[in-house]
Amino acid sequence: MKARGKTEGKDLLWFGLLGVLAVMPLIPGPLQGSFTQHVMIQILLYACMAQAWNILGGYCGQVSFGHSVFFGIGAYGAGMAVVKYGMIPWPGAIAGALIAAAVAVAISYPCFKLKGHYFAIATFAIVEICNRLFMVWYWVGGALGLDYSFSEPGWTHFVWYESKRGYFYGALLLFILVFGVVRWIEKNRLGFYLRAVREGQETAESLGVNSTKVKLMAMAVSAFMAALCGAFFAQYNYRVDPPMVMSLDMSMKFVLITILGGLGTFYGPLLGAALLIPLQEYSRALLGGMGGGVDLIIFGLLIIVVVVYQPKGIMGIIDGIASKMKRSEEGGK
Amino acid sequence: MKRRFFGKGLLLVLVSLLMVGVLAGTSLADEKVIKIGTLFPLTGSCALAGQRCRAAVDTAVEVVNNAHPELQVPLAAQEGIMGGYKIVLIHADHQGKPDVAKSEAERLFDQEKVWAVIGSYNSAATKPASFVAELKKQIFMCGCSSSGALTERNFKYFFRMAPTDKTESLEFVEFIEWINETKNADIKTVGLIYENTEFGKHAAEEGRKAAEAAGFKVVADVAYNPGATNLNSEVQTLKAADPGAVFGACLGGDYTLWVRTMKQMDWLPKVSLNYCTGYQDPIIAGQLGEDANYFMGGTGYAPEFAGLMPAVAAVEEIYKSKTDPSVPFDSDSIQEAVALFILAQAIDKAGSLDPTVVAETLYANEWESPLSMGGKVAFAPGGQNIKAMSMLTQLQGGEYKRVYPADLADTEPVVPMVPWSKR
Repeated sequence: MKARGKTEGKDLLWFGLLGVLAVMPLIPGPLQGSFTQHVMIQILLYACMAQAWNILGGYCGQVSFGHSVFFGIGAYGAGMAVVKYGMIPWPGAIAGALIAAAVAVAISYPCFKLKGHYFAIATFAIVEICNRLFMVWYWVGGALGLDYSFSEPGWTHFVWYESKRGYFYGALLLFILVFGVVRWIEKNRLGFYLRAVREGQETAESLGVNSTKVKLMAMAVSAFMAALCGAFFAQYNYRVDPPMVMSLDMSMKFVLITILGGLGTFYGPLLGAALLIPLQEYSRALLGGMGGGVDLIIFGLLIIVVVVYQPKGIMGIIDGIASKMKRSEEGGK
Repeated sequence: MKRRFFGKGLLLVLVSLLMVGVLAGTSLADEKVIKIGTLFPLTGSCALAGQRCRAAVDTAVEVVNNAHPELQVPLAAQEGIMGGYKIVLIHADHQGKPDVAKSEAERLFDQEKVWAVIGSYNSAATKPASFVAELKKQIFMCGCSSSGALTERNFKYFFRMAPTDKTESLEFVEFIEWINETKNADIKTVGLIYENTEFGKHAAEEGRKAAEAAGFKVVADVAYNPGATNLNSEVQTLKAADPGAVFGACLGGDYTLWVRTMKQMDWLPKVSLNYCTGYQDPIIAGQLGEDANYFMGGTGYAPEFAGLMPAVAAVEEIYKSKTDPSVPFDSDSIQEAVALFILAQAIDKAGSLDPTVVAETLYANEWESPLSMGGKVAFAPGGQNIKAMSMLTQLQGGEYKRVYPADLADTEPVVPMVPWSKR
């Protein structure tokens, strides 16, 4: 009963959070600022990316540095639909996500035979291969990438020029989808299987869990979600090129945000993004113009502070505070 | 205990640095100011070039805002523009990333309320940043991004000072034809080596078009990823094809690596002609020393041009006070200073801060520009400076010697290049 109560509390918090997020752009004041809205959109987008990675890396324990490939395929899906074929981005985004899931399964099937660090190393190599491939693949624009031209702003073309409110609600829908799917997985059999594989593949198999199938499912869902994030990224930046989307730099963001927030936790990716993204954006805005990378130094220092203090990430800090409070309450009694 | 102290120390450093930023951002209280944003790669692989571009714009602002009657530059004699308006610069860093360039351009316009933006060095970053400016009907002045595609978009608020890759490619081909005729160079084939980016790809496409149109055969087309740590296979491909001339688009450290790899493989074409790349960077030329000699490239400015551009030297002294004093203007950074000077003249002449009026004024006039080769700037629809010129130089004894066009040359070109074994 206790566990059920905790679950309901988590859902209540989730719906409350969505309610707050939905009204945020309507509140007059600083939240109306274009830059503030840009930061909020980035938080939601990077939280979704990290959560997509969390399915595989956090819940299933398979550390992948290759997620920028799936992110890139999604971005190219939308970009090709708009730039190459003059279509709306939606079919391109869906096609890109399906292709990303298929590519993920095809790539990971042999890679999952590798264990531990070897799997992570293999995914590193995949990013480099795909980056170079897209650089010279002229059908998708090669090194020049794909540049959007002006189109009618609105939901149909999923571009807005005057205001960022459309992008914010677009990011919120993506957030609901990605976090909703993860919440569903968490509560269902697949979630237990994923955690079982993470805790010990052999033990899970001895209990009848088909670990290969579970890992492939996690990879496919994770890649599908990452690709949808990529499609959003392309629409938001009006451009796609290989270094923007298919790079180790981008892959590291998937991993870093999740680890900082809390690996294998539901709110960890959101907390990680809520800390890292404003820090990155505001430090660049305040200090970037000085040159010398002061903003990047601060960014790095903060990550060191969090990791040194709490390797379990921000969720670990919150859990620590909660258990301290609980202990003091019990002491008071 | 130690860990707690370490953490507190780090937090203190973070807060202090952030405060510095906040204070720096709140010191602009002057009323009669025009805020202009600069957007360059201040960090990342092109950081040095970006910082020099920023210093060049700082220099131009120093000249425009204060009376400098000793300088032979428009607006230098007066203080400010349009009856006393001063220009205030807000600097931003795009790290060489197009997505960051786009969001920083938005921030400069929406949050910092800048009136125009100057930038952004990397063509791939200039594209999305100037797209933002065009959407907002605000002026974007581009100094040195050379991708031809930038001025083929028919934008109304985008203006570029530097010549494009197309102009340089035509000049390269013209030069080869001239040395074939006058020096029996007997060059029939061309090779291309370029970084696989917006800039490199465009440069190579224009190079190929120009070469083929003039009847030269392109026998090698070699792309590499920027920041490469090894160019052995790329140089091997060139060596195997052995083109008479090579058109190069290798930026920064990649240029150094390319030259050194050619030395290691003991191979050189008869002529090596470079777009605006590492060749024009005086620091890189210094690092390469003797090995830099006999390479050639299109050059918008070098200290050796003092005779052709007498007004530059005095402005350059101010520039040196804002950056490394041992490094003069280069072809790229000087174009960013020109961008600010031209914009300031246009605002002054228009007598208005309506961007549409100033954009129309920019198109309608021919501007005095003593910092540009040729001394004039004028814009065609799409924003390209049709007076943009560069001349071919060759590094000889560590100096950029003017070798083409012949009527502006101060030295005869050394063709073919002196082989490595005879240096």
